[in-house]
Amino acid sequence: MVDIEIEIDGNVVHGHSGESIISIADREGIDIPRFCYHKKLSVAANCRMCLVDVEGNPKPQPACSTPASAGMRVHTNNEKAKASQKAVMEFLLINHPLDCPICDQGGECELQDVAMEYGSDVSKFNEGKRIVADKGIGALIQTDMTRCIHCTRCVRFGAEVAGIVEMGATGRGEELKIEPFLSEGIQSELSGNMIDVCPVGALTSKPFRYEVRSWQMSSVQSVARHDLVGSNVFTQTHKGKVKRVVARDNESVNETWISDRDRFSYEGLANENRALTPKIKVKGEWQEVSWETALEAAISGIKKNSAEAFGALASKNATLEELYLLQKLTRELGSENLDTRLDVANPSSASALETTISLTGLEAVDHALIINSYLRLEQPMINHRIRKATLQGAKVSTVNAKAFDFNYRVASSVLSAPQNTVVTLSGVLKVLLESNSQALPDYLKGTKVNQAQIDIANALSAAENGVVVLGEQVSSNPCADQVAKLVEQIAKASNAKTLNASATGNTLSAEKVSFKPNGGLNAKQMFDADLNAFVLLDVYPAFDCVDSAAAIENLSRDDAFVVALNSFEDASVLSFADVILPLASFYETSGTHINIENVAQSYSASVKAAGDSKPGWKVLKVLADLLELPGFDYTDSSQVADDALSLSPSLAATEVDIIAMEVPNIATVWQYTPYASDVLTRHSQSLQQTQIGQVSEATVSEATAKILELSQGDCYKGVPVNINETVAEGCVFVHTNQARQR
Amino acid sequence: MISEQAKQQIDTWVAKYPAGYQSSAVMEALKIVQAENDGSLTSELIQAVADYLEMPVISAHEVATFYENYNHKPVGKHVIRFCHNISCMLNGADDLISYLETKTGVKTGEVSEDGLVSVKKVECLGACVGAPMFQIGDQYYENLTPQKIDEILDGLQ
Repeated sequence: MVDIEIEIDGNVVHGHSGESIISIADREGIDIPRFCYHKKLSVAANCRMCLVDVEGNPKPQPACSTPASAGMRVHTNNEKAKASQKAVMEFLLINHPLDCPICDQGGECELQDVAMEYGSDVSKFNEGKRIVADKGIGALIQTDMTRCIHCTRCVRFGAEVAGIVEMGATGRGEELKIEPFLSEGIQSELSGNMIDVCPVGALTSKPFRYEVRSWQMSSVQSVARHDLVGSNVFTQTHKGKVKRVVARDNESVNETWISDRDRFSYEGLANENRALTPKIKVKGEWQEVSWETALEAAISGIKKNSAEAFGALASKNATLEELYLLQKLTRELGSENLDTRLDVANPSSASALETTISLTGLEAVDHALIINSYLRLEQPMINHRIRKATLQGAKVSTVNAKAFDFNYRVASSVLSAPQNTVVTLSGVLKVLLESNSQALPDYLKGTKVNQAQIDIANALSAAENGVVVLGEQVSSNPCADQVAKLVEQIAKASNAKTLNASATGNTLSAEKVSFKPNGGLNAKQMFDADLNAFVLLDVYPAFDCVDSAAAIENLSRDDAFVVALNSFEDASVLSFADVILPLASFYETSGTHINIENVAQSYSASVKAAGDSKPGWKVLKVLADLLELPGFDYTDSSQVADDALSLSPSLAATEVDIIAMEVPNIATVWQYTPYASDVLTRHSQSLQQTQIGQVSEATVSEATAKILELSQGDCYKGVPVNINETVAEGCVFVHTNQARQR
Repeated sequence: MISEQAKQQIDTWVAKYPAGYQSSAVMEALKIVQAENDGSLTSELIQAVADYLEMPVISAHEVATFYENYNHKPVGKHVIRFCHNISCMLNGADDLISYLETKTGVKTGEVSEDGLVSVKKVECLGACVGAPMFQIGDQYYENLTPQKIDEILDGLQ
């Protein structure tokens, strides 16, 4: 790239040879109108709005597709440029309905803005305007295709970013329409970004439809805490309610995109099932009480029991501040019974696999090995970075219980049931170590190796920038520690980086503040030990606990006192809890999210907490004060965050022995749909109505089904059975939006 | 949905393009599949072609709706493809289309009750020298007059 000098409107500016005029102008703050050009999409040059006058060219040139060359003199607002821009504007407005007063895009519409500047106030067009019938494309995106100006940004977004080509330009000339093939609904987990890229009101947010005019809202900078990325967002609020969430640019985190989960989960905030008032259970009956009474009841119940019998369980989506205060409270009480790993089959104190790659670093990998993960749905923005790498030629291989539908080509895949994953990975490690002529540890000596394992090992060792990704589904595996250890060894032997996506949400904040038992009991052991007092921080055992029935049963004991800090009311929590303290949900509290790169992103509350609910950090601080515990003199959540961030995790790593563990012959891999992954998304109706959100099936191979005596349409743990051969022998893959059943 | 024979035909077109570019054969593939399905395509057939060529179905649909040669509604045994572009129009195509419609009792875009003919207006077929003209099957009929149309129609079986 050569630095060149060009002149735009008399200003001398710098660019790289081959860079488009519009991209230089954007950097320099020189405004050129455009519709089809988008900095993250390929250049189409079909709207012609960015025509500029380039000296020496008889005709005006589109600034988006004209590469700059040294000494070029460009005029964006001389007579020739203005005349062309005005002419193009006139053409674009011929078929546009000009229904701005009833259009949700009104006030934030690129067409409206540009028409103000370049349009004429009188139209010469007296003929009938074109009308396009709407097909309807699902629960998230509202279409009004009569407003479409055929810029094809949504089409290019699908092909280039989402990786699923769903929208297309059908017909031609006057008949040209932007539409999907069928009206079944858009399937991409990133589809909401089409709303952001649409320069007109053709694609708008369906849940937001007719809610409020865009200029009546205030935008608050916030962070979405559904996944490990912590995408940057603006929450747009009106009269104390979050009305919409849109992407906020942050090149190193989420670029300009956010997942649908981050975009539409806010809908849950207004759900009628929110916990809004403090409640205590008196003789089996719930009574709504004041905060004072509820807190009084909470501390007297906690004080009655010894510290050893006290346990704290927290949601992985809690804020850093909440997790810090709850662990501090628990430890000050003298208990080490702490855990967030409720969905893990075998929580242990082994040190977690470290992530050694950055998000932008993922784009530069040449091989990615994805283990136990449907990454596209689990971590959409991480998957997006890997997809970008595949566009540059990176190869992807997977070791999964099921053949998942990725939005890139998977070069080689091994189907492996959880109980076989240790063996599969051991084989890969063995090949790697042998090819490095390294000594084999004892546990690999007897390992047999097959061709698939050799292929994966060879691909990894041939890669210069490899990465091994460990996903969420490993939590269903009783041998999760061994798998994590093997991943670490495989990465080491192949000089690859690692990415630990095995727990989602704000789980790295839990790591940061050691929200794990250091010598105490983990989640599973707490239930086994029949503790007498629990504090649950936004925990819903029916969904969150790996053995939900056992957890609920244990919490329902007469001698178990349960204080539940809940943002939503939940039937099972009501059945066993003794005190309910209503908790401010996402965007209603200030907080901090630590993402996969260990970057702490703090945000302030976007709106006041609903009803009488209160931010968790305040509730926990007051609880600690009432329990007369020292060191809780906080007046602001940022002080809590400062204390939390100054900690360094103190857990000593324990050695993991890779030995054959006793595992069932037939294992269950349980995965929630991305829209059932936390309590807020579960209460967002629109997300539940999407194709991704409605999935509920237990996939099993024919041979395994025979052993389990299942046939098509039966229910397995309450989930309809689907028999096909996309799944590994010896396991049932449950993908569902339903609560766990036995 | 696609017969073995049609697949073989499609494969000969796929072979003309570099490996991995099989979707380049989409136009011919749609043509072949349309020919073996009484001259029209359905959503299912477009889906089948897209699946066979491993391409997004919407991309096949874009091609199928862009070109006049693909029919999306059932057509008659003989499709009369009447040019109505400028040369033919100046030479009286519009009147002749009306004549054809009255004579056959079939409106443009529709099929006769006996399924024998359907009429379709198409863009320039490159035979301006013989305007006005239409095409039936692979045959061009040029310098049309009402009498000539009568003779041609009588000859259709």
